[in-house]
Amino acid sequence: MLTLLGASVKMVARDRQSIFWALAFPMIFLGVFRLFSVDSARTTALLVVADVRTEAGATLLAALQAVPFLDVEVRPGLSEDAALAVLQERKSDAALVLTAGAAGAPASAQLITAVNDPVRNAITVAAITSVVDRANLALTRAPQAIELHARSAGVHRTTYFEFLGPGIIGMGLMNFATIALAGSLSRYRSEGVLRRIRATPLAPWRFFTSVVGAHLLVAGVQVVVLALVAEALGAHVLRGGLPFLLVSLYGTLIFLNIGVIVAGKVQGRGAVEGAANAITLPMMFLSGSFFPTSSLPAAVRPIVEVLPLTQMLHALRGLALDGDSLLDHWPALLIMTAWVVGTLLIARVTFRFADD
Amino acid sequence: MAATTQAAGTVITARDLVKRYGDLTALAGASFEVARGEIFGILGPNGAGKTTLVEILEGLTRPSAGTATILGLEVTEQPVEVKRRIGVQLQASSYHQYLTLREILELFGSFYPRRADPLELLRRVHLEDRANARMRTLSGGMRQRFSIVAALVNEPEVVFFDEPTAGLDPDARRDLWAIVREVRASGATVVLTTHYMEEAETLCDRVAFLHRGRISALDTPQGLIRGLNAAYRVTCTTSAPLEAAAVAAIPGATRVVQEHAADGYVLRLRAAAAPPVVAALTAMVERAGVTMLDLAVEPATLEDVFIAVTGSEWDG
Repeated sequence: MLTLLGASVKMVARDRQSIFWALAFPMIFLGVFRLFSVDSARTTALLVVADVRTEAGATLLAALQAVPFLDVEVRPGLSEDAALAVLQERKSDAALVLTAGAAGAPASAQLITAVNDPVRNAITVAAITSVVDRANLALTRAPQAIELHARSAGVHRTTYFEFLGPGIIGMGLMNFATIALAGSLSRYRSEGVLRRIRATPLAPWRFFTSVVGAHLLVAGVQVVVLALVAEALGAHVLRGGLPFLLVSLYGTLIFLNIGVIVAGKVQGRGAVEGAANAITLPMMFLSGSFFPTSSLPAAVRPIVEVLPLTQMLHALRGLALDGDSLLDHWPALLIMTAWVVGTLLIARVTFRFADD
Repeated sequence: MAATTQAAGTVITARDLVKRYGDLTALAGASFEVARGEIFGILGPNGAGKTTLVEILEGLTRPSAGTATILGLEVTEQPVEVKRRIGVQLQASSYHQYLTLREILELFGSFYPRRADPLELLRRVHLEDRANARMRTLSGGMRQRFSIVAALVNEPEVVFFDEPTAGLDPDARRDLWAIVREVRASGATVVLTTHYMEEAETLCDRVAFLHRGRISALDTPQGLIRGLNAAYRVTCTTSAPLEAAAVAAIPGATRVVQEHAADGYVLRLRAAAAPPVVAALTAMVERAGVTMLDLAVEPATLEDVFIAVTGSEWDG
């Protein structure tokens, strides 16, 4: 049995296609997603149309320039229509047009936001309103009744890349287990390797145990390598520790069974790889490898929540990001167990050693 | 252990083996026995049921009816025990492309309680310097030699070779024949299927013709040829055509065919005895006033047996 397991491991490790799905493919995703800075807030480009030689204009401009969130550009003498034109061309996110009032009357400030984005606009309007209020106080020399001090308690907010780390590891395990195993089993069958093995006294269950066991061993190495790469790039998955590895391998078992089922139900190597992709590709997106499942429409969520990858990722993220224990994720583990048993039974019934 | 009904010295007994796939009957009742130490050939056209028959004996396919007994064991009842003691080379099967030859032999050896040394096996088929090479780096002949030796990892008592020389050039085929003879010399009984009549004639002690799922002839190659009522092939080339009906009327001549070739008119026929037919033919040529350009008389071969048995020309 050890010879068989050793040979099976060698076969997986020497198969470039398997190694691509196991390591290269998820690493490409980790690397590419690392390049995007989704988490850093974008500044708002603000076009200020005001005569800054007036006291009101100068005070307002100084207050606006003190806000780090604003990227201020002053264009004195621009008409309101010309300012609108700048917004239309998307050269600015918002325009603040200050016009001096008639003698004794207050100056008027028009704030126009460019894009119909309610959340972002609300932030912009709130920021500028507070600046205008402060400028008003300064200009009227009114005393301040309440002084606001804002600071952060420093609680760590999960970054998008941290969210992504377990997602990409889970995706990598699924692709490797399903696509690579289905591919090699169908290749063994079309090349007659399975038939040749069946002509020996080797019991079929021993053959499958060794193939699945070899893929699990390689998947274990895969988890460790991907976790180290993700950690180095800034996704803190190593906090998940041994429970993270165990849940990863438990989920991989489901995807290996699915690989056996696909290889059993579909004829021909090209078709097998296509079918395996047809299963893993939608699941990769639906189960929340890249985006939280909570952002999916309510109608599809009950279906998405029973998918094995969804549950596996819930558990992996809980372990890596929230410091949960395995017991905290018993519902996920229960659903995964149902998948392990169900897919195993189907795989047993559907697998064929020879092409018809 | 199943009660053995085999006679001493008999290693394989097939009794009324039938295999149906839906409406298709691949095997319609095949019975024969193979003695210890024989090289036993199974011949037949494509679709005759050769592979089905061999796979039933190997325990890969369950017969719809009938029994197969190997080394005193009934195959359907004790398939694992049978598989431990036989060696199998399958048609069009290959081995793991990511393992070296030595690793494949070690792997297959690990399935058996009794196993041969991988390097020693490779030496038997002159592949010892390829021990660390992978399958895909081998030529077709090397692969066939390897698949033969992979059937010997468990030092089997009975070895099955399914079309062992298919697609090989004549030199590689002769190499393989020598290897098959060595296998028999080492004490094993060999069962092989083949497409090549010449192979069966030179290699096999006895030959069974399979036709439409039945064994239509079974004897030594020489016995089968002697049993034909047309033991010779006569080929005669003349400058002008002979009257075909007159040729067909020569006593003892059968299957007369005449065709126009580049170097004259070629007449082919089969004769039960050569001298009277050749004499009659020579006389006819003289009477017709044409010139005989060439005359060849050859003994019949297994191919002639095949034609007699199946009623069709051999395309292999």
